[in-house]
Amino acid sequence: MGLWEAFLNWLRSLFFKQEMELSLIGLQNAGKTSLVNVVATGGYSEDMIPTVGFNMRKVTKGNVTIKLWDLGGQPRFRSMWERYCRAVSAIVYVVDAADRENLSISKSELHDLLNKPSLSGIPLLVLGNKIDKPEALSKQALTDQMELKSITDREVCCFMISCKNSTNIDSVIDWLVKHSKSKN
Amino acid sequence: MAQPLIKKDDDRDDEEYSPFLGIEKGAVLQEARVFNDPQLDPKRCSQVITKLLYLLNQGDNFTKVEATEVFFSVTKLFQSKEIGLRRMVYLIIKELSPSADEVIIVTSSLMKDMTSKTDMYRANAIRVLCRITDGTLLTQIERYLKQAIVDKNPVVASAALVSGIHLLQTNPEIVKRWSNEVQEAVQSRAALVQFHALALLHQIRQNDRLAVSKLVTSLTRGTVRSPLAQCLLIRYTSQVIRESSNNTQTGDRPFYDYLESCLRHKAEMVIFEAARAITELSGVTNRELTPAITVLQLFLSSSKPVLRFAAVRTLNKVAMTHPMAVTNCNIDMESLISDQNRSIATLAITTLLKTGNESSVDRLMKQITNFMSDIADEFKIVVVEAIRSLCLKFPLKYRSLMNFLSNILREEGGFEYKKAIVDSIVILIRDIPEAKESGLFHLCEFIEDCEFTYLSTQILHFLGNEGPKTSDPSKYIRYIYNRVILENATVRAGAVSTLAKFGALVDSLKPRIYVLLRRCLFDCDDEVRDRATLYLNMLVGDGSVSETDKDVKDFLFGSLDIPLINLETSLKNYVPSEETFDIDSVPKEVKSQPLAEKKAPGKKQSGLGAPPSAPASAFDAYEKILSSIPEFSSFGKLFKSSAPVELTEAETEYSVNVVKHVYDGHVVFQYNCTNTIPEQLLENVIVQVDCSEAEDFSEIASKPLRSLPYDSPGQTFVAFEKPEGAILGKFGNTLRFIVKEVDPSTGEAEDDGVEDEYQLEELEVVAADYILKVGVSNFRNAWESMGANCERVDEYGLGQRESLAEAVSAVINILGMQPCEGTEVVPSNSRSHTCLLSGVFMGNVKVLVRLSFGVEGPKQVAMKLAVRSEDQAVSDAIHEIVSSG
Repeated sequence: MGLWEAFLNWLRSLFFKQEMELSLIGLQNAGKTSLVNVVATGGYSEDMIPTVGFNMRKVTKGNVTIKLWDLGGQPRFRSMWERYCRAVSAIVYVVDAADRENLSISKSELHDLLNKPSLSGIPLLVLGNKIDKPEALSKQALTDQMELKSITDREVCCFMISCKNSTNIDSVIDWLVKHSKSKN
Repeated sequence: MAQPLIKKDDDRDDEEYSPFLGIEKGAVLQEARVFNDPQLDPKRCSQVITKLLYLLNQGDNFTKVEATEVFFSVTKLFQSKEIGLRRMVYLIIKELSPSADEVIIVTSSLMKDMTSKTDMYRANAIRVLCRITDGTLLTQIERYLKQAIVDKNPVVASAALVSGIHLLQTNPEIVKRWSNEVQEAVQSRAALVQFHALALLHQIRQNDRLAVSKLVTSLTRGTVRSPLAQCLLIRYTSQVIRESSNNTQTGDRPFYDYLESCLRHKAEMVIFEAARAITELSGVTNRELTPAITVLQLFLSSSKPVLRFAAVRTLNKVAMTHPMAVTNCNIDMESLISDQNRSIATLAITTLLKTGNESSVDRLMKQITNFMSDIADEFKIVVVEAIRSLCLKFPLKYRSLMNFLSNILREEGGFEYKKAIVDSIVILIRDIPEAKESGLFHLCEFIEDCEFTYLSTQILHFLGNEGPKTSDPSKYIRYIYNRVILENATVRAGAVSTLAKFGALVDSLKPRIYVLLRRCLFDCDDEVRDRATLYLNMLVGDGSVSETDKDVKDFLFGSLDIPLINLETSLKNYVPSEETFDIDSVPKEVKSQPLAEKKAPGKKQSGLGAPPSAPASAFDAYEKILSSIPEFSSFGKLFKSSAPVELTEAETEYSVNVVKHVYDGHVVFQYNCTNTIPEQLLENVIVQVDCSEAEDFSEIASKPLRSLPYDSPGQTFVAFEKPEGAILGKFGNTLRFIVKEVDPSTGEAEDDGVEDEYQLEELEVVAADYILKVGVSNFRNAWESMGANCERVDEYGLGQRESLAEAVSAVINILGMQPCEGTEVVPSNSRSHTCLLSGVFMGNVKVLVRLSFGVEGPKQVAMKLAVRSEDQAVSDAIHEIVSSG
């Protein structure tokens, strides 16, 4: 990036500052906290502890500030997801694409959540994580098994990513930035 | 957490204005929606939280839904990095204390804060986290907590230490692992850290006397700088002194030098703490007291009210036991009588009353009179009690003291205050014969204008007992009959009874009393009419109601020998039942502590009519259990069940206690067993009893316990036959059982068991097992009416005793009788004491005992024992108990 361009970016960020709020949910061990780390710092660690509760992170990408609510995925937290999804710009649902056993649970948790009236119309981004693993599903298979086609009341998008190899992270960020709303 | 931030509206600083004026829950809950704004305004949020905290602390209740809603929106505030707001967030989370499954949502955020670089975050996150944590999470964060204890920031270290103190209640085994860190923190230079660390260290070790003693020994050598910690150390030191004083009979008191050196500390709180500790030493000598009294005396003239108050309060307590030691301070205390703070003044004057001599009484009374009107009722009561004890001390001064009491009785005052005065006058009348006439007269005057029904009836009752014995009983009649004309039904009924008592005792008044009673026959209240009719028939009557003059007096003056509460229970049982009510079936034993498992007598029929509700007492429960066992059903009526006696040490594998059930010709031992080993199941549990030292007893039946699983108590019984009467004996006990291993994971027991036995402690059937504790309300009356026919008096030497109080309680315990009129309490410096006991001996024989103790020579206690009972054999038996015990 040239110096001039950087300067322009900075200027733009002063005048066209944008902000968005996201909720990051999904079953435990899907890779939510890892995704936050990759998006925020680009770092990846194999050694993660389960999130007890939530992590709050603010990430600035270009002229967009993203507030990330990274919620714990264990069953005891699932009933509380809804409270942190109200009024967000988008819901990011992370699925472990290589964990075929739990896929149906993941699907039903997602559909249960989306049926809540308070969340109607909020765009949904489904991320199939861990495609670096050989047994990972394809995007088509994931879309089918998650029954994403049946969701018609909102914008739905699906990406296949790998936090470990930073595959497709850029397109995720691009999608998010596009869905940010201008401040005021 | 430190003090909450209270934001003031800067514009209005000049006005007196509460920021919380008129705030209201509904509106504040609406305002709390700002927590969900995408653009947070930290200042605004802090204000809203402040209001929420205010409401919570004012006692406003949030519904579950409201609290949950507020809690979750508050958690969104973790996005702000503003320190002030974060602090409010911590506070409100603690205050809302949401349910465990919700509060867990903030765990991760708090753990992040706990390792943050901001000290304030670290300290407060630790406090909140420890408040909401459970055992499993605690092991995860333990490492951080240990680090925090030795953190170089004192705020963080204190937070971790205080959290440790709280966690010790729920997770002691984890906190105990922090000893090394805590010990390091005790050496901290920060005052508060040292204080908290010492408190935690002591709590960790509190159950280990030796460890506490070591802690005190090492710290009293002078590494504690913080005044607060020093105060704690003084308290722990006095605790150690208390516990060790039993062992060291002679020589210097351990640690006294340390306490004395603290009197020269530069912090006032340390000086005071040390002085108080010295005055509270058990058996403190005058030589030990002197330096403490000297510093307290200095405090008396301090400019700080709190020091004056502390000092005078402590001296007041000392004056109860060592009046002479306090006399040096009298001059200082006299100047405190005019202290602006009335609490200080009251304490000063009551202390002076305790230390004063006969000559200063009049002067003090004058000063008190000036000042009584300025103080609140509760202080007046303190003064009245002080005057009462002064009067008992100097009976010759009764005239001025009685005058004082009657004067204040006439003034305005609440019920408690008036009651204290009336009680005092009654006590003076009872103990100082010369004061009787004037005291009764004052009471009569008081009931002429008394707004308290309770006091009026009490005084009328007292008047009925005492008035007829005075030189001119007729002068009281007017006051009594005025009650019949002027007062409410309760007082009128009381007055009628009192008139009857005069009528029964004073022959010359009889005709006139009859006239008055006849007038009461037309009263509009039926209780008053009934009483008048009853008394008239009794006094005038033809012998149909009562046979002799003595019967009349018994009926009028005899006290009800049944505790009212027992009577009430029996009557409640009687109401739905078919049987006729028999007053002899009411239990007579006083139920002292409703919580503890207690002994109770057995005259209650577990009849058909009794409602099948929960048993009214332990006794009923025992009786129910025993009567359900066919082997014991022929033993007749249960006389007494003892309190449980432990046969094992605490925390052994099997815990066993025994309850002794006494019948006329039998004794049943009920062994309550608990198995405290999860891996064992016991079967066929029985206690094998060795009666080689109890020859009069022969075992006739036993009832084994089929199985005794872990932690669920069970009972096994052994029954003995014995001759009638109070037969004593000593029994050896062995617990026998078949033990089976239990797999802790499945809870299933193995099929094969091993026979085993377990030695228990010995058990004695003592004299007290044959005596019921039954109190009498007026011992003197009971004593006199019992008569000297079966009296036996003897003297005994009790040998060397620790103290008079110890000797008194030992004798009470041996006899197992009910102390009357509070005479079981021995004033700590007295050389002699009289104790009154009453009870019912086996065979329903009433027994009264008067014990006079005296100290002669070095701790040699002698006792005069006077027993009156309805049966000479029983009087002799009591003496036998004492001479053998």
